[in-house]
Amino acid sequence: MNHPVKRMDRRRFLKIAASAPALAALDSIGIADADPIRYGKMVDTVRCIGCKRCMSACKRWNGLKVERDELVTDRNTSLSGNNWVVVNYLIDRRNRTHKNYGHWACQHCIEPACAGVCPVRAITKMPEGPVVVNEKKCIGCRYCYQACPYKIPQFDFVKRVTRKCTMCYDRTPLLNYMKPACVAACPVGALHFGYKQDVIREARRRTRDRGGRFYIMGLEEAGGTDMITILPTVPEDLGLVVAPRKVVNQNMDKIRITGAGFMGASALAGLMYLYAGLTRGRNRKGHDEPDDQTS
Amino acid sequence: MTNPMTKHLEALLRDMDGAPAFYVWVSVLVALVGLGGYALLMSVIHSLEVFEFTLKIPWAMMVSNYVFLIGSSTGLCMVASMGYVFGLERYTMIGKRAVFLAVFAILFGMASIMLHLGHPERAAVFTILTPNIRSAMWWMGGIYGAYIASLVVWCWLLLRRDLVANADDPGLKGTICRWLSLQEAMSTLGRRFPKSQGIIGKLSGMLDSETERSKWIRIFATLSLVSGLCAYVVEGSLFAHIEARAFWYGPLTPIYFLLGAALCGISWVLVTGIITYRVRGEDLPADLKDLFCEMAEILALLLSVAFLAIVYKMGHGLFVPNKAATVWLFLTGPFSLAFWMLEIAMGLVLPIFVLLFASRKQMMPGIMIGAVMVLAGYFMKRYDYVVASQIYPVIKNHLPSYLPTFIEVLLIGGLLGAFLLIYTLGDRFLPLKEKGYYDVS
Repeated sequence: MNHPVKRMDRRRFLKIAASAPALAALDSIGIADADPIRYGKMVDTVRCIGCKRCMSACKRWNGLKVERDELVTDRNTSLSGNNWVVVNYLIDRRNRTHKNYGHWACQHCIEPACAGVCPVRAITKMPEGPVVVNEKKCIGCRYCYQACPYKIPQFDFVKRVTRKCTMCYDRTPLLNYMKPACVAACPVGALHFGYKQDVIREARRRTRDRGGRFYIMGLEEAGGTDMITILPTVPEDLGLVVAPRKVVNQNMDKIRITGAGFMGASALAGLMYLYAGLTRGRNRKGHDEPDDQTS
Repeated sequence: MTNPMTKHLEALLRDMDGAPAFYVWVSVLVALVGLGGYALLMSVIHSLEVFEFTLKIPWAMMVSNYVFLIGSSTGLCMVASMGYVFGLERYTMIGKRAVFLAVFAILFGMASIMLHLGHPERAAVFTILTPNIRSAMWWMGGIYGAYIASLVVWCWLLLRRDLVANADDPGLKGTICRWLSLQEAMSTLGRRFPKSQGIIGKLSGMLDSETERSKWIRIFATLSLVSGLCAYVVEGSLFAHIEARAFWYGPLTPIYFLLGAALCGISWVLVTGIITYRVRGEDLPADLKDLFCEMAEILALLLSVAFLAIVYKMGHGLFVPNKAATVWLFLTGPFSLAFWMLEIAMGLVLPIFVLLFASRKQMMPGIMIGAVMVLAGYFMKRYDYVVASQIYPVIKNHLPSYLPTFIEVLLIGGLLGAFLLIYTLGDRFLPLKEKGYYDVS
C-alpha cells in the first residue's frame, strides 16, 4: 500500500527554522543542571514464580538469540551476550527448604564501575538511570566485566563486543511511559518500574506488609543501584555476589593506588642511581679504551 | 639470468653462515611462527571461540603473555638505562642487545593484546576520539605510545654508527644496514625537497658528532626509562584499580609488577647474551663474563626480595576475607602444583642458589639455566595471577575453570617464536654484538 508523501510547504519550513534558535536556547536555560528524572526497576523475588517470561520478553525486544533449554523453567542459566536477564533458583544456605526465584540482570549502579574503566567511554550512565553499552564503540577488552562488582557485562563471541541489560532505554519511558520488556511481561507483579523514589517506596511497603523480615538489595550496595531487589534473606546466604556498601572504583582510590606505584617507581630509580654511584669504581676494571671498531 | 629473488636468497644464506645449532634454532622458531600464523587464521575465521577464555574468565593467556612481554620490555629498558642514564659504562656493553629486545618485546606484547581485543581496529580510533581519563587502560595506551616511540629512537641512535659503517657490505647485511641507517631516505628527501637540505645536513652533522650523539642517546634513554616505568606502573594499576577482584586490588600491585619487570629484564639479557655466544660457538669476552656474574648476583638478590613479597602477599591475603579464597586456590587448590613447583621452587628459590653458585664459579651455562628458570617461572606466575584471580567472586558457587586450548598455545608460541626469531635475525644482521664500553659522558 502506498502512503501519501507529506511535503513540507514553505510556511511549515519557516516555522521550524524560526523555532530552531528557541530550541537551541532551551538547552542553556539550566535544564541540564536540574535534578535528573531517575527511573528504577524493582525485583520482588518473593513474588516471582520463575516462569521466565521476563527472559523471553527481553530476548524478543532486544533480538537476542534463544539458546537450547534456557527458557525451560527450574533450569538455572548464566548471563551471556545473548542472555541479559536470568531467572535462577535462590536457595537459602541456612535453611535449604527456603527456595525462591531470582531475576538477575544489570543492577544499573548510580556510580557504575564499568563506565569508569572503559577506555573509550563506550559505557555511559544515562541521566534517566540505565547504564548502556554502545556496541558500535566497544573495543571488546572485557575490562568492564572485571570492574563490575556483580560480574554482569558479558562478551559476545560473535559480535566481539560486550553486551548487557539496557533497562530497555530504547523503549523511551520518558516519552510514552513504556515499561522495560521484562517488567511488562511479568504476570504476577514481581517486577515493577517507575520513578526511583516510588520504586524504593514500593519495595519498603512490600517488605513492611510482609512483616519486614526481608532484605532490600540496591540501597547501599555499590553506592546504590537503580535496580532494587527484595530478597528473602541477605544476599550472602543466597549465593549472590555481595558488592561492598560503597561506591566501587572511586577516582580518589585509583589516584591513591597509581600514586603508590609512582612512588615505588621513583624508589626503584633511586636505588638504581645509588647502585650506580656505589659500583662506579668497577668500571674499566681490567679494561682499556672504548672499542669503537665495528665488526 | 639471475632472478633477484635467488640473488637475495643466496645473499641471505651467505650471511647466515654459522654453526649447525643456529640452523636448528632458526628452523624451530620458523615452525613456531608458522603454527602461530595458522592459529591466528583460525581465530579470524572461526571467531574468538577457538580460544578457551570463557565468559567467566575473559582475560586469559593472551593477557598474561602481554603482561609478561611488556614487563620484559620495561625490565630490559631498566637494565640498558644503567649504562646510558646512570652512567655505568660496563652496562653499555649489553645496551644495544637489551634495547633491541625491549623494542620487540613491547611490539609483540602489543600484538598479543591486540589479538585479545574484540575490535582492535576501534581501539586506535576511539581512544583518541572519546578518551576516558578515569581508565587506567586509556592511560596505558597513551604512555606506551610514548614509550615505544622513544625506545625506537634510542635503539636507532645506538645502532646508527654501526649501521652506517656496515652499509657498504656487499651482502644482505649491507642492504639492511643501509636501509635502516636512513641515509638513502635522507638523501632522497634532500633531492625531492631542496629546501629541507639544510635541516637534513644539520641532522646528519649532529648524528655524526660523537658528543651530540651521546647526548641524544642519554636524552632518549632517560625518556624511555621514565615512560617505561610510568607505563608499567599504569599497567599494574590497571589490575590494582579493580576493587571487584580482591587479589589484584591494592596499592602494592604496581610495585610487585615493577619488581617482576626487573627480574625479567635481567633474565632476558643473561639468557640471550649467553645463548647467542653458545650458538655461535664463540667464547664470551672476559668483561662480559664479569658483567653477567654481577647481574646474576643482582638477580639472586631481587629473587630473594620477590620471595619475601610473595610470602607477604599470600600471608596477608589469608587474613583478608575476599582474598583468602583466591590464596587458598594457590596454596592447596587447583593452582597449587603450578604455584609451589613452577612459581616458587623453579621460578624463585632454586634459581637463587643456581645463580649464586654459577656466578661464584663464573659458569655461564649455570647462569643461563638459572635465568631461564626465572623467565619460565615468571611466565607461569603471570598466567596464574591473571587466571586464578578471576575465579572469585562467582555467582551460585560454580567455580569457572580455564585451560588454554591447543590453538591458544600455538598462538602464544607463535608470538614468542616470532619475538625470538626477530632477535636471532637481528643479532645476525645488525651490529648487536658486544664490543666493549661506549663513552656515555
